[in-house]
Amino acid sequence: MSKNEPRIGVYVCHCGLNIGAVVDVAAVATYAQTLPGVVVSRESTYTCSDNGQRSIQEDIETHNLNRVVVASCSPRMHGDTFMKTCETAGLNPYLFEMVNIREQCSWVHTDKEQATEKAKDLVRMAVAKVQLLEPLEKQKSAVNKAALVVGGGVAGIFSALYLANAGIKTYVVEKKPSIGGHMAQLDKTFPTLDCSLCILSPRMADVGKHENIELITYADIQDVSGYAGNFHVTVKSNPRYVIKENCRLCGVCAEKCPVSLPDEFNVGLKKRKAVYIPFPQAVPNYYLIDADHCLHLTKGGCMLCQKNCPNDAIDFDQTESVRELNVGAIIVATGFELYDATQKKEYGYGRYPNVITNMDFERWVSADGPTHGKVVRPSDGNPPQKIGFIQCVGSRDEQEGAGYCSRICCMATVKQATMLREKYPEAEIYVYYTDMRTPGKGFEEFYQRGREQGIVFIRGKPGEIEEDNNQNLIIVSEDTDSGLILRNTLDLVVLACGLRPPEALEELTQMLHLSRSPDGFIMEAHPKLRPAETSIPGVFLTGCVQFPKDIPDTVAQSGGAAAMAAALLTKDEIELEPVRATVDEELCIGCGLCEDNCDYGAIEVKRTEEGMKAQVIEVACQGCGVCAASCPQKAVTIRHFTDGQLLAQVTAALEPEVIL
Amino acid sequence: MKKKEIINMDELDPQFKYEIASQPGGEHILKCVQCATCSSGCPVASVSDKFNPRRIIRMAVLGLKDVVLKEDFVWYCAACYTCSERCPQDVRIPDLMAAIRNIAVKEGSIHPAYREQGRLIGELGRLYEVTEFENERREKLGLPKVKEKNREIAEIYGCTGVGKVVL
Repeated sequence: MSKNEPRIGVYVCHCGLNIGAVVDVAAVATYAQTLPGVVVSRESTYTCSDNGQRSIQEDIETHNLNRVVVASCSPRMHGDTFMKTCETAGLNPYLFEMVNIREQCSWVHTDKEQATEKAKDLVRMAVAKVQLLEPLEKQKSAVNKAALVVGGGVAGIFSALYLANAGIKTYVVEKKPSIGGHMAQLDKTFPTLDCSLCILSPRMADVGKHENIELITYADIQDVSGYAGNFHVTVKSNPRYVIKENCRLCGVCAEKCPVSLPDEFNVGLKKRKAVYIPFPQAVPNYYLIDADHCLHLTKGGCMLCQKNCPNDAIDFDQTESVRELNVGAIIVATGFELYDATQKKEYGYGRYPNVITNMDFERWVSADGPTHGKVVRPSDGNPPQKIGFIQCVGSRDEQEGAGYCSRICCMATVKQATMLREKYPEAEIYVYYTDMRTPGKGFEEFYQRGREQGIVFIRGKPGEIEEDNNQNLIIVSEDTDSGLILRNTLDLVVLACGLRPPEALEELTQMLHLSRSPDGFIMEAHPKLRPAETSIPGVFLTGCVQFPKDIPDTVAQSGGAAAMAAALLTKDEIELEPVRATVDEELCIGCGLCEDNCDYGAIEVKRTEEGMKAQVIEVACQGCGVCAASCPQKAVTIRHFTDGQLLAQVTAALEPEVIL
Repeated sequence: MKKKEIINMDELDPQFKYEIASQPGGEHILKCVQCATCSSGCPVASVSDKFNPRRIIRMAVLGLKDVVLKEDFVWYCAACYTCSERCPQDVRIPDLMAAIRNIAVKEGSIHPAYREQGRLIGELGRLYEVTEFENERREKLGLPKVKEKNREIAEIYGCTGVGKVVL
């Protein structure tokens, strides 16, 4: 077809007033008519509408067009739309070129005359390129109908259950010895005051025994390769040194174990042994040995647990095991980390015993916590009578590297203050806030209930906390509602710490080639319309790894991520984008620069009869072009973006008279 | 500029908000979100900086009982109910001001103008004095004379104990 005389149709879009208010669309369309090869040129109010698309299809037929240019929004917005329009009319979709005269022209310029000239330039460049385009065919690839969920908190649990219930084989990989995540550590949930574990543990148990779910805990992802429909994931499982089938949870091992350590589940407020179960409802529900602290595993000897276990469940010969999972889709659900309050030195967390964090509070108030649910002053064990909460600790704070609002802390504080009010009806409770944010079903009503219970909300963030000789805490702050400066002496202060992306996320994002937003959380494919997808096909995301959110939003997003993954996994094969690298072996000298630079492991130098030559692994190639740019021999070409095509565009941009 | 005074919250009364909430008319004080719709439409606030219903509620919630009861601003409310019509939280501000005034009266803080009115009503049975002059005019118009002093009110003051508070 490329040898045929080009017969080009150009369609210039008003996009309502988005383009039309700045660019003289009619002038651009008239100009396009004068360009070589252009057979028909039209303007249209909305080219993406049914009418707009039909007009392109009719022209392809009546004018026998063999190339189409649409000047409108970004290819990301409607590139696929118009490619399908061409395809339906019998034109290879890769003989289409899109010009962005909205985001890159009308939206960013105010001078109408110059914007119109720029739009003409952009259209001329596209017309120059479209003449040289080649038809490309999409390849097909089989889909491995299994999914991997990374992370076993509430987000991972629900995505896994949704997938498994749809009949899809699902692996759940969790770093910790039990699933449950942060939600398992919470005592109650807002705004209903449901017991957190009461609503979560049945779902945890479902994950543990679901016929379609394989749960791999105490394990790390070591490597990921492949592409949508065909990922290979290397997972390393750490040994628990306990035989699951033999462990009867009698706890004799822990009784005898001489090593006492801070209990992570209770944020260090309680002790655990080196052989332990993370918490009573843990899934999987059997003991494990902490290899870093076990006397036998660090120094030799001891083995008291093994000697005393009535069921021979202790096995010190276990070793780590590495396995490869083959899956078609991956859901990232690795959650968040709580802001480290010791960073905010003004508030004295870690120095003043009676300053605690919101997560500490959850464990103090829990029946399984250090005081069986009694909230006390850590310094003397007395019940607090004057309690303060400070909001936005490590959130909305550029100095702490987090300009964003963590979304859940306002409601978490209202919940905690309400629980305190129930336990201590006479207590004075103050909440120091920047803005109270309660956007959610039943949230504002919950906040109102808190106010009506006499919780005093003071608008004004304290600058610092001081401690007196009795380890009481003194806060001086402005009440901006009255303009008064208040000095308050409190028994206990709770810091409402914000949510951070986990430290370990960096490694995973690199393995999966994911992008991160400036806030450090994983970037979604589109902030509004594709919130559960990443920029990498086949990799989805849910929960706080995308951005801080509460439990209902997390569960909803998990449903979305599972639906997106299921849509991919229920296909037998998927189409692969043909815009990929190809190597001219005659030019290739086998230097390996392309292989070094490829982020996707998609190009390799191999020995051939002609010597060392680069070879493209088509299915892994993302068409990014790094190999082509780095090749000193110009042996690598990206289809649809060949040097010839790009240079024609550049020439048209710089020398309008050459083309005219 | 005068140095701003720091208020020690230990010297405030955290129970004051509950005391108001337990009075008829004061029940909704804790619903206030400080949106300031009340102050924006208040005809008194538009002519006097001293009266700002939002700020009075705030001080009451913080427990600044002495200021709220001893300053005369709670007596400024004209009870026009504009704020009540508009308040998104149904705080019922004129009723709330009445509840606060009732507490003030109990604690002996009455605005001098109201104390004087109370005295007049107790003594005369009405807010103004009727003399022979008024009665002569009434006679000319064919109206019956009224008593110059109405002792019934004084009796009510005595029975109810209002007299002790007001006078």
